[in-house]
Amino acid sequence: MKKFFAVSLAAVMTGALLAGCGSSGSSEIPVIGISQYAQHESLDNCREGFLQGLAESGLVEGEDFVVEYQNAGADDNLNVQIAQSFSAKNVALMCAIATPAATACYAAAEDKDIPVIFTAVTDPVEAKLDSGNITGTSDKLPIAAQLELIRMLQPEAKTIGIIYTSSEPNSVSAIKEYEALAGEYGFTIESVGVTQQSEVVQAADTLIAKNVDCFSNLTDNNVVDVLLSVLEKTNEAGIPVYGSEIEQVKKGCVASAGIEYVSLGVKTGQMAAKILLGEASAADMPYETITEYETYVNADAMAEFGMTLPDEVAAGAIDVSAEAAQ
Amino acid sequence: MELLISTMMQGFIYALLSYGVYITYKILDFPDLTVDGSFPLGAAVTAYFMVNGMNPYLTLPLALLAGAVAGLATGLIHVKLGVRDLLAGIITMTALFSINLQVADSNLAIERSIDTIFTAAPTAVLGDLSLTYKKFIISLILALVCKLILDWYLQTKSGLLLRATGDNDTLVTSLAKNKGSVKILGLVIANALAALAGCIVCQEQRAFTSTMGTGQVVFGLATVIIGTTLFRRLSFVKATTAVFFGSILYKICIQLAISMGLPANLLKLAMAVLFLLVLAAGSWKGGAKKHA
Amino acid sequence: MLELKNVTKIYNPGTVTEMCLFDHFQLQVKEGEFVSIVGSNGSGKTSLLNIICGSIPIEGGEVLIGGENIAKMKEYQRYRRIGRVYQNPSMGTCPNLTMLENMSLADQKGSFCGLGRGIQKKRIDYYKEQLALLGLGLEDKLHVKVGALSGGQRQAAALVMTTLTPIDFLILDEHTAALDPKTAEIIMELTDRIIKEKHLTAMMVTHNLRYAVEYGSRLLMMDKGGVVLDQSGEEKTHTTVEDILGLFTKISIECGN
Repeated sequence: MKKFFAVSLAAVMTGALLAGCGSSGSSEIPVIGISQYAQHESLDNCREGFLQGLAESGLVEGEDFVVEYQNAGADDNLNVQIAQSFSAKNVALMCAIATPAATACYAAAEDKDIPVIFTAVTDPVEAKLDSGNITGTSDKLPIAAQLELIRMLQPEAKTIGIIYTSSEPNSVSAIKEYEALAGEYGFTIESVGVTQQSEVVQAADTLIAKNVDCFSNLTDNNVVDVLLSVLEKTNEAGIPVYGSEIEQVKKGCVASAGIEYVSLGVKTGQMAAKILLGEASAADMPYETITEYETYVNADAMAEFGMTLPDEVAAGAIDVSAEAAQ
Repeated sequence: MELLISTMMQGFIYALLSYGVYITYKILDFPDLTVDGSFPLGAAVTAYFMVNGMNPYLTLPLALLAGAVAGLATGLIHVKLGVRDLLAGIITMTALFSINLQVADSNLAIERSIDTIFTAAPTAVLGDLSLTYKKFIISLILALVCKLILDWYLQTKSGLLLRATGDNDTLVTSLAKNKGSVKILGLVIANALAALAGCIVCQEQRAFTSTMGTGQVVFGLATVIIGTTLFRRLSFVKATTAVFFGSILYKICIQLAISMGLPANLLKLAMAVLFLLVLAAGSWKGGAKKHA
Repeated sequence: MLELKNVTKIYNPGTVTEMCLFDHFQLQVKEGEFVSIVGSNGSGKTSLLNIICGSIPIEGGEVLIGGENIAKMKEYQRYRRIGRVYQNPSMGTCPNLTMLENMSLADQKGSFCGLGRGIQKKRIDYYKEQLALLGLGLEDKLHVKVGALSGGQRQAAALVMTTLTPIDFLILDEHTAALDPKTAEIIMELTDRIIKEKHLTAMMVTHNLRYAVEYGSRLLMMDKGGVVLDQSGEEKTHTTVEDILGLFTKISIECGN
């Protein structure tokens, strides 16, 4: 009886899996498999932008393509299996959002000709995602611009505090760049590395105790997730925090020279459309880094610190204080 | 079909990790959290040496060795310093997180131009099978070879003593054997296997990431429990075989949840329900028999 | 054979609950003696066995076996020469291993556990023979997991396992206490037979005064960390359960029980 149960369970599951892959293979409309590594506002924006980009290129969902969207919830095992399911189903194109998803999709497509298009990957070269049937967009931070912005808003500031996760490659490389460029703008960087989210608020205390003149954020997931707690501390201490993208400024950072993930996604979607339409191949298209960036300011937050917006900044800046979540 | 093949391939690779967890959790009755650190350690060592031009086959023994050292550390902390089992594992796991970062930074990718055990010259004997099938066959061979070696080991004098230590360590002391040494040995073997799994995953994924160890203990426990629960009544099925199938079933469960197209937010819940179903079904049968 | 010299044992030293059990305790056991030890709870019987085996540390004194001081040895090292059967039948066997595996395991006492086969086929007949001596039919249950056996069967198996390899000294720690009277009787007879057949030196702690009187060549009664009665040879053969019970009651009354 027991044996029967075990064997039949295994059989049912195997059967279900076989049936699952059979049905999707018969679909005539090309399938785009979107693998998003984690549940995260910026990454969600990328996905939205990606779909917009496809639409802007004249492709209609349901007619020209269908989307299979999967989210690994930051689970590495799931991340790998999602990529493999796309590969096994021979989707027309894989869209990978964030570096781990891109790595897994690229590995799953190793001996196939499924193009992989990534977005929100900071350093495609370091992640070895720069050659082969793969392309996409990088969300490398415009660090020089950010430093320039801070200098204009706080002419007297000397030290910038940054909290980062020491195991997050994007953060580590951003810190290196910050340190390399800070001198040019007359800053020194005080960075505190954390290994997990629970240490972030403590790290903020450490930086406040070191009397930094301001904080600057990266796109570090651990920090971004608890940004509100960090802001509570810094507001109390009277230290302004600069964000790295629009969502952070909406949450209460004073300003940011940053990328905006929806437009990053749009660009990615447009690249994907070219591939689907056969206008270009992923292997031939180099990955793109956003060179234009926007300056986002939160006028309400600035007012709290008694900061004023110099005219040359105000000209091109977008005030998001109206959209700020209260 | 290909989906099933690649899912089973994942099951084979992770079966190695499950064997390790089986040794500590089921045989030694030692909740070893080191695995969350030794698994990525195997991957970190592999990535580092492969990027520096080492033959991919040589990384297998190297990963085994690295994992063994990690197990040794937990064992010594527990046995010699008298730190509780759970804490000893946590200490090593925490230390390994930093060590892994030292070895391979926060992530290290292996370029496609570098051969892995799945693409190196000897795989030519498999003919012109697609890479997915090659990965399937090679990981199946590895999982079976490790299973046979482990089966053989558990029947040796040393293996018998290992099983006795988890069962009744008072008896082991009464037999003039140092139960501490046996525990250390068990941890060494378990973590060597976990690191080997990490090594193969790294070659399969062509990447090491510092977070890849997170949740591996939980995965291992789940597969061991699924395997041993489902096959409990089949006395002719060896525990290692049960764990092997537990690992495959678990991966299939996850793939099913993905394939059913559940909303991303519900995926984990679906996995939990599937896991619960397997366990409940298993224990319900077992319970019925007990009461009869 | 065994000698305890000036053994001092203090429980919880340096705390308010500090309790000195043994203060320069002395005991000598001669080769081939079978010593039965009785005494009320807390009199130090089990502590005495634990001190000999090294299960608990001592604050002072020497424990000598065959003239060698083993006080510094680790517990497991001491068991090279000592065999011990516990009160709880599940302590002496591995419940998830089969009878055969348990016997093979016991057979490895004193030898290095390498990568040779755990079960030596050529030894199986010897194991069967040894188990057959018990008369409980265990020789036909070699492939049964020991956890499935009764407490009495397990205790009998533990006894055989303990004495399977040569030892100098057998420690019996209330080994019949958890068994029903009939099984206890069988185990006690088996114990006596094995001790005689293998010419073992033995120490047995028991609450059964009749066993203490009927079995063994020497009788000790302990109270508050001291020996209050020590009989052997001719003198012991004349002692009755009533005599012991009388003394036992007297001690207990003095204690205010």
